[in-house]
Amino acid sequence: MIIAVSGKGGTGKTLVSSILVKLLSKTGKDLLVIDADPDSNMPETLGVDVEKTVGDVREDLKKDINDGNIPAGMNKWDILDYKIMESIIETRDFDLLMMGRPEGSGCYCAVNNMLRKIIENVSSNYDFIVIDTEAGLEHLSRRTTQSVDTMLVVSDSSRRGLQTASRVGKLAKDLEISFKNLYLILNRVKVDNKEELIEKAKKTGIELVGVIPDDKTIAEFDLKGRPLMELSDDSKPVIAVKKILDKIVDYN
Amino acid sequence: MFSDIPVDVSPMHEGERIRAANMYVELAGPKSIGAELVQVDDSVEDGKYEVIGPELSEMTKGEIYPFCIKIGIKGEKLEKELEGVIERRNHDLCNYVQGFMHLNQRDQIWCRVSTEAIGTGFKLVDLAKAIGILFKEEFPIIEEISVAILTKEEEVKDFVNKAREIYSTRDERARELSDEDVDVFYGCTMCQSFAPTHMCVVTPDRTALCGAINWFDCRASAKMDPDGSIFEIDKGEVLDGMKGEYTNVNNLISQKTQGETERVYLHSVFEYPHTSCGCFEAVAFYIPELDGIGIVNRDFPNQTPLGIPFSSMAGQCSGGKQVEGFTGLSLEYMRSPKFLQADGAYERIVWLPNEVKESLKGFIPEDLFDKIPTEEDATTINDIKAFLIEKNHPILERLDNASDDAKEELSEKKISEEELSENVSLDEVTEANQEFIPITSIPEMTMPISGGTKIIFKNAKIYAEKVIIKKK
Repeated sequence: MIIAVSGKGGTGKTLVSSILVKLLSKTGKDLLVIDADPDSNMPETLGVDVEKTVGDVREDLKKDINDGNIPAGMNKWDILDYKIMESIIETRDFDLLMMGRPEGSGCYCAVNNMLRKIIENVSSNYDFIVIDTEAGLEHLSRRTTQSVDTMLVVSDSSRRGLQTASRVGKLAKDLEISFKNLYLILNRVKVDNKEELIEKAKKTGIELVGVIPDDKTIAEFDLKGRPLMELSDDSKPVIAVKKILDKIVDYN
Repeated sequence: MFSDIPVDVSPMHEGERIRAANMYVELAGPKSIGAELVQVDDSVEDGKYEVIGPELSEMTKGEIYPFCIKIGIKGEKLEKELEGVIERRNHDLCNYVQGFMHLNQRDQIWCRVSTEAIGTGFKLVDLAKAIGILFKEEFPIIEEISVAILTKEEEVKDFVNKAREIYSTRDERARELSDEDVDVFYGCTMCQSFAPTHMCVVTPDRTALCGAINWFDCRASAKMDPDGSIFEIDKGEVLDGMKGEYTNVNNLISQKTQGETERVYLHSVFEYPHTSCGCFEAVAFYIPELDGIGIVNRDFPNQTPLGIPFSSMAGQCSGGKQVEGFTGLSLEYMRSPKFLQADGAYERIVWLPNEVKESLKGFIPEDLFDKIPTEEDATTINDIKAFLIEKNHPILERLDNASDDAKEELSEKKISEEELSENVSLDEVTEANQEFIPITSIPEMTMPISGGTKIIFKNAKIYAEKVIIKKK
């Protein structure tokens, strides 16, 4: 099952993704996390170190090709396959694939085409895949999130956050990308504006699946650079995401 | 057939990855050493499957071990040349074995055994046996086979060194593989999403212009994804070996470009040059004043001798347009023995950026290397010409012949030399600024004019701000 988390930058995509990882990694199933946001701090929130991203692998290959360093009898599919496997950060509970920086100048059609196939194949080996998508809507128009089962759109209480959310819904419809499920999550919700927000959320046209209450521990974790994986199970955000997960996932 | 092997052996396990969390041991890979090698060997003992060094049962969970797969084959029709092709299948066949992961090839293999497989009692000798049976099934010309698996560090080291020598001999042979040696070329339409009338032709002597894929990559792609955007071209009849024109290449290009391009010369910038998507690493461009060819790569930021930078030039000859005098190419193609062979190869090259020139050391003929100017030697056509004369570049011979012809023909026409030079003087051309992009640049062109006169431009470049074509 592939779950993608999208939304405007800064609304809490990475928070939702990290808690999803925290919860899913306890199921004993094979879990792959794909961080597709070049600006994200997933490794930090998950508490792992990253040496190489897919972007680095792509640039290295380009360089090797230009310098004529690839042995004549070897094909690039296999080399890329190996390098991608090498760039996966493997932990006991989950594996992480960092997409990294966007491509530089020149042509990336062939390399990206190979990468897409390889990542598809790698992904087919996991029970759960959580994708933290890049902020904005490009992943939709580039159809990199086409095979996603459940798309979770995160918004905070800001007007622009909600606007982005309704655009995701509209664009998915226009491009005829049919996610099995498309849900909205409201983040950083305070008691006094809850009702009003839920009313506004209805206008996005996306079904609201859950509300994450404002919680000052998140800001504290953020400030100290403490991994969100270490949030306690009974903290409000974890409880909220658990409720959402139970609605969207059939563990069997 | 695999009844005494405790795990399932079938193509359905291809693509199986074993996570570190589910792994019993890792073999070879980035943190250790290893290799695989197939060799034709007359002393093969058929059906001998052995493990030299520790078996899985003697290994510690979670550790990484050196690992080699040594395969000996024998058969009446087996030749040494086939070793590489047969070895290439080892990756697929190893992956048929459930609970065994195999990546890449040669001395870059990376394998893992799953804890689940260990639970069934799976041993490395089972792997050896499965490989032996699968190879015989896959290649009936293999009559006898033996498979040895090495896991002892010392022996693996020796074996890897020996294998590397064999790989490099094979690579030399692969580099020598030429268009004549194969019946199949490949077409690639990966870029048609933004250049709908472009198709790349990839041959052993001509890599795709993006530089990313060569003939071997295409072969792998076409096999992996037969309905994908890379497909076989049965090259058909050779129409011109020098220029690189083939019946079926023409047919397929015409079909795949909706008739936009009907003929293509693989190894020339003239008449029917190979079209470009926009992805090329470099552009070869004809310089009429010098009757030579210049090259500019994507990273070159300044103006070319034509007075425009790479980006403007790329705009003119991309998008699947066939523009005579221009062709997109990859840096690797410049290392090909057939590099623009119909045009005179490096003897016709009169300018290229220093970065490119340095990367081609050993590929540009030694006696020519110092005769080809870069941006450090000259940037205008006049300066290039002076440099070529000073270094005695072979293009001079061509220029002399050409100017003799031109004089003869010109004297026949009723156009005064003065008038011509007023319109397109050399100085004006070289000093033309970026606003004026040559819309055409051709060695000879006849203008359709009514009224009994005929105007022929020789080596002319026409600059225009706007071109308006009106029907009467």
